[in-house]
Amino acid sequence: MRRETRNDALWKFGSYIFLLTITALVLIPIYWMLVAATIPQSEFFSWPPRLLPGLHYLQNFQALQESVDFIRSIGNSLIIAVSYTALSLVLCSMAGFAFAKYEFRFKEPLFYAILATLVLPIQLLIIPLFLLITQIGWTNSYLAVILPWAANPLGIFLMRQNMKAIPDALLESARMDGATEFQLYYKIALPTMIPSLSALAIILFLNQWQAFLYPLIVLQEEKMFTIPIALAQLVGQQRVNFDQVMVATSLAIIPIFLMFIFLQQYFIKGILSGSVKQ
Amino acid sequence: MAPTHSGGGSRFREASSLGRFPVRCDRPPERRKPGIARTTTDAGSTPRGEGERAVILNTIQSRVRTSPAYRAIADQVRYRRQDVSGTVPKIPALPYLYISPFFVLFAVFLLFPTVYTLYLSFFNYLGASNEVLLTVDFVVFQLTIPQIANLQFVGLDHYTRLLFQDSLFHQALFNTSFIFLVQVPLMVVLGLATALVLDAKFIRAKSVFRTLIALPVATGLVAYSTIFLLLFNGDVGVINYALETIGLGRVPWLSDAWWARITLVIAVTWRWLGYNMIILLAGLQTVPEQLYEAAEVDGASRWQKFRFVTLPQLRPVLLFVVVSSTIGTFQIFAEPYVITGGGPSNATITIVQYIYNQAFLQLNLGYASAVSVALVILVSIMSIIQIRYGGAE
Repeated sequence: MRRETRNDALWKFGSYIFLLTITALVLIPIYWMLVAATIPQSEFFSWPPRLLPGLHYLQNFQALQESVDFIRSIGNSLIIAVSYTALSLVLCSMAGFAFAKYEFRFKEPLFYAILATLVLPIQLLIIPLFLLITQIGWTNSYLAVILPWAANPLGIFLMRQNMKAIPDALLESARMDGATEFQLYYKIALPTMIPSLSALAIILFLNQWQAFLYPLIVLQEEKMFTIPIALAQLVGQQRVNFDQVMVATSLAIIPIFLMFIFLQQYFIKGILSGSVKQ
Repeated sequence: MAPTHSGGGSRFREASSLGRFPVRCDRPPERRKPGIARTTTDAGSTPRGEGERAVILNTIQSRVRTSPAYRAIADQVRYRRQDVSGTVPKIPALPYLYISPFFVLFAVFLLFPTVYTLYLSFFNYLGASNEVLLTVDFVVFQLTIPQIANLQFVGLDHYTRLLFQDSLFHQALFNTSFIFLVQVPLMVVLGLATALVLDAKFIRAKSVFRTLIALPVATGLVAYSTIFLLLFNGDVGVINYALETIGLGRVPWLSDAWWARITLVIAVTWRWLGYNMIILLAGLQTVPEQLYEAAEVDGASRWQKFRFVTLPQLRPVLLFVVVSSTIGTFQIFAEPYVITGGGPSNATITIVQYIYNQAFLQLNLGYASAVSVALVILVSIMSIIQIRYGGAE
């Protein structure tokens, strides 16, 4: 191999500089969010500038909670995201299992109908959904946000792909041992699918946790607001209290950061299946 | 696209030890049995746009071509021969039972709205309606489908209006296109550069860098937008403060049309850089090491290796990144909604924001539907063009 030249050393140095610059640019907004959340707004521009977080987080939080019931919004987001994830996982894994492991009539056309809707953007759906939800009288209910997106085409696609990996022999031997057909699904297919289910669960949870456009349309009462809507409401006011907003933003973001750091492999799997994107 | 990694039990150590990129660490080894069967059939049978996604799925899945997979296939063949196939349920209706909950929701909340948007785009919406559209008599119960809305047929009027008359729509189209034309190339180049640097052998603490750069992936669209609203705020924005301190003077980030658009470009790039870097990095790791070695033996320079090995090998992944970023930028909503509010004087209103305004603020649901349909057509055409030109050798 070649010997290390001065050119190579320079290249290495440049690479590190580039990487550090990008990392710094990525981190500065996050860091500033933390600083701004922990100091009163009046101190944003004191001289010398505040570069370290302060101790004002709790006071800012109290002020936030007085202007909008943000804890309630967190609760709403949790209820919606968790029940949506659970429901969608059941639906997708059941249907995915049928598509992966059974032969039945109209299997192919039905599956392609699902595939075709994978590319449909949300804008194509929201107007009729709004009419539909209004018509049923579900506006300002959890159900209105949970149910319409529970039939997730991407979820069923991923489940089918992964469940194809379950050997037929395994199912057959279980059958011979007297397992019922339903046991094949929940005693054999589901346990072997836990890694894929976890990755899908993260995708579904995040999509719902961060969803904005659709909830904005069907949730109009303040007590039903999810986190993104509450945030948008906060910054939509005449005079924005950024110290309070940053507390709210940090509450929305930091739990997900921790999830990301500890469950990174599932996030990455989700990203690589082209799906974290909303 | 053969995996260059050592498979098996080492994968978990790789994942935890801040080592190589843990794309391949999602399933424990004993479950990686017969993934091979899906690779060819699925990629071939999915529609064109899906093909690109399937390429990436396949790169992940291709690693299962290890001996257990072949054993499982052999199992299948043996069972087929014995005529005890596992794919035929004892109860014929069972598969339908499994898929029906999904399909009920799918039909009501996905298929119906899609068709109805198209339908609605030929009508004027006059208000809600409680009249019965039709009644289906199932023996056990009667299904009444209400007429959802009072509609007035206008034919192609909405489409001629948005094509030739609606200057605000043209403005939204221009704004969105500007963001697309600046943001997508910027992000793809930056993302590729970052991925290339992170893929270089000599870089230490790769996974720390990767995790930090990818952090924005975990931020919600509204949540990160509020941060950028604060950063670029005219009065209390820290960026102007910093610019002033180093003597460059204030920039009217949110009050000038062009600067407001640039602000959105910066924000969107910040949010999606890490996302695209992860995809490109995964793509880089599928490039066979031997190709680089061969190029090195031939005395290729760094640039030549990039140009003649990396770039051609990365082509499908790059195409995927470009197409999905294009689709993404044309659907931008939360950022202008939160950061600029579409202003100043509609300089940053995007197409989706315009749809939202038309539909839910002015209740022009019919016209908004037509804009939605137009947007979908536009994005489809762009994707097809990109795949045509980018996919051809």
